Amino acid sequence: MNKTIVINDIEHTINVDSDMPLLWFLRDDLEITGTKYGCGTGLCGACTVHVDGQAVRSCITTVGSVVGKRITTIEGLSENADHPLQKAWLNNNVPQCGYCQAGQIMNAASFLATNAAPTEDEITNAMQGNICRCGTYQRIKTAISEAADEMRKEA
Amino acid sequence: MSLSNVSRRGFIKTAGLASGGLVIGISFPTSAKSVDGNEIKAAFNPNGFIHLAENGDTLIYCGRCEMGQGVSTALPSAVADEMEADWGRVTVKQADGNEEIYGSQATGGSASIREMYQPMREAGAAAKLMLIAAAAKVWKVKPKDCYAEAHFVVNKNNNKKLNYGELASIAATMDVPSSPKLKTKDEFRYIGKSLPRHDQGKAVRGELIYGVDTKLPGLKYAAIVHCPVLGGHLKSLDSSAALKMKGVSDVVEISRFNVPYGSIGGVAVVANNSWIAQQALKKLKIEWELGSNKIYDTKTYKQQLVKNVEKPAQLAVERGDVNKAFKEAKHRVKATYTGGHLSHAPMEPNASVVWVNDDSCEVWASTQSPADIQKVLAQYLKREPKDILVHVMMAGGAFGRKFKCDYVQEAAVISEKVKAPIQLTWSREEDMRTGYYHSISAQHIEASLDDDANITGWLHRAAFPSISSLFDPSLDRAPANSLGEINTYPFGIANFRSETGEAKAHTRIGWYRAVYAIFYGFACSTFADELAHKAGKDPLAFLTQAFANNTISDLDVAAKRCQGALSLAAEKAGWGKKLPKGQAIGIAVHYSFRSYVAMAVHVEVINDVIKVLNVDCAIDCGQILNTDGATAQMEGAVVMGMSLALSTEVTFKEGAVVNSNFHDYPVMRIKDMPNVRVHIVESDEGPTGLGEPGVAPFAPALSNAVFAASGKRYRDIPFKPMTV
Repeated sequence: MNKTIVINDIEHTINVDSDMPLLWFLRDDLEITGTKYGCGTGLCGACTVHVDGQAVRSCITTVGSVVGKRITTIEGLSENADHPLQKAWLNNNVPQCGYCQAGQIMNAASFLATNAAPTEDEITNAMQGNICRCGTYQRIKTAISEAADEMRKEA
Repeated sequence: MSLSNVSRRGFIKTAGLASGGLVIGISFPTSAKSVDGNEIKAAFNPNGFIHLAENGDTLIYCGRCEMGQGVSTALPSAVADEMEADWGRVTVKQADGNEEIYGSQATGGSASIREMYQPMREAGAAAKLMLIAAAAKVWKVKPKDCYAEAHFVVNKNNNKKLNYGELASIAATMDVPSSPKLKTKDEFRYIGKSLPRHDQGKAVRGELIYGVDTKLPGLKYAAIVHCPVLGGHLKSLDSSAALKMKGVSDVVEISRFNVPYGSIGGVAVVANNSWIAQQALKKLKIEWELGSNKIYDTKTYKQQLVKNVEKPAQLAVERGDVNKAFKEAKHRVKATYTGGHLSHAPMEPNASVVWVNDDSCEVWASTQSPADIQKVLAQYLKREPKDILVHVMMAGGAFGRKFKCDYVQEAAVISEKVKAPIQLTWSREEDMRTGYYHSISAQHIEASLDDDANITGWLHRAAFPSISSLFDPSLDRAPANSLGEINTYPFGIANFRSETGEAKAHTRIGWYRAVYAIFYGFACSTFADELAHKAGKDPLAFLTQAFANNTISDLDVAAKRCQGALSLAAEKAGWGKKLPKGQAIGIAVHYSFRSYVAMAVHVEVINDVIKVLNVDCAIDCGQILNTDGATAQMEGAVVMGMSLALSTEVTFKEGAVVNSNFHDYPVMRIKDMPNVRVHIVESDEGPTGLGEPGVAPFAPALSNAVFAASGKRYRDIPFKPMTV
């Protein structure tokens, strides 16, 4: 029986070994490249995707462990880059080189889905696993706060 | 520099350009000399261009490489401003490697805006004048009866309008004005404002294509391992286990490239997936002949550097009479400062895509120097540089590392060997240990003070393996001209001596964002603070006096601008106000890459735990093109400065790098982010850079703040190294 996985609402057959990290199935087999490689060991957060809505580090999550699950990557987070986080990111001119930003946004999206009114400490605790070498942290904090405000208004 | 109307020339075949319309080229004079030594007048060499299509769409090319510093927004926005183009109609394109058309594309030294500001403005202004001339022709009026505004030309007499698209082909028939009049500061529409980056919409969608992202039909994936010690080579290789793995197709040995930014060589595995290639790499049985650098141990090496600067070393620069000043001195202060190697560690590790065919070579890479890729690959493949097509992709951070394109050379070797397009991605571990590191360093400073807190003499010794060692590995110390920043420090002390201590290189040394300014800024600004405390003076007052005492007329401007930035940072930080116990502010200013940056760092120190609360930055870099971009550069510089000041150091044992990933190279994370406020010194000077100058003042300002808060003086960066 063919094992399948749903990525951004599209079903894909898994034709790789089950111990391959999801990151490389996405990037090299499916050629969905918005999710990035930064460290390969779950230390930097650049590879963050959602599995059934929860943030995971795809570089240390095997394809075998997510059979039958729903995966969301940055490309599938919203229809028109209109997730409140994406809008807040643009409003605050967050990205510099942009390489870590997909992981930042995906991690933040999962966090805000469980904490609608986070304090500054709660935000930085939640985002501590995502490294940015360009140093956009100050704007990330502001953008997450802003997005949380908007999401509460919409709710 | 001269401008040219290249509208009718047929050579522009780049995809995405509509046919027809107005095209402006810019040429820099090439200084070619004829056989008898006379300068040859430059042949037509269009250099960067604007394309205005008949529907009004405007393409502006950026020749310098975008790596997050915002150059691909800043420079095109200067064109659009002078052109009176509507930024909403502009698409920015990253230029392929072609220095004949785009001039120097080497992106570094915080020089891109400084070098390209004027040419870009003139190109935009010329286009505007040609469009006005075109409208004047249509309306049968004089150009002075028209003005341009936001993609339209307006007839002053009757307010009739023609849009740029309608005028494009007529403008294409006009002569290019040779010295077009530029806007005054009050006329700027985009320059000096905070235009959002043109690429950030793609960034939040995951649609930016980095060097590591390009996909091609038949693409294969490669992983590589290099000799862990510089100068070593492969002794034996058993690839049988690797080749047996499902998905693996080849194992390729790569020889060293004997050029300054050349690959040290290694062994690569090719597979149908990056992860499979990485796993197969682990199955290679490799023996390395490590070579003479296997003795390199940074712990003992640093101790030796300290010894080398605490005794007389080789004279670099001398003025006045330091010995006399010291003999007569009322007060003498001395201190030794050290710093460790740093790894650039951008979030995107070294990676590229290269496709070598019999009759073509195409590269997709994050790079800071496409011309160097063209040169080295041409040499290797025995072709012409112009036959190496380099697509400059978005770089996921670079900080100086991607100036050296060993990761592109390797992909080319593999592609040629296996006859397929190759995507080579270095693992994070490989990136960490096969770097071009920031120099490990030791500095010793001795100074004399009189009873009025004036510095009467300054002796400065520095020992560090220099970037020059890349070009001349036989060097036994940094050459005298590597101490320039110390020699021209804007205190301008009359009795001064600098010396360079023995420091042979045992690894590759490279430009790391701010380069030598990191350790020079740390030593000079921390030592100045130590002098202030020894003299019993408020550090701001002491520095103000020191800059006012400058004796070297060439340094007058620098001393004044350092003072200006310093005063602004201190004022905004609330210098002098009473703070709660355990809190203090430390200040530092540094002049590097022609710009002036001061920082006032406000810390809280409790039981030796340092918390950075606020950082007030003052920047003087002349005309700022994008205030948001400048602010972002400073926020980023604080983060980078904080990483290197507090925690990150690359260490070597038995010739090899000990660190491997982010758990043992602990770069700064979001919880430690202080509140950064950026203040701009208004200036009518031309723009100077901001990519690097912000990094240098953080570490000394931090050392000064921690001393004021706790009495503990840190003289070694990083302050709290990890025991690896």
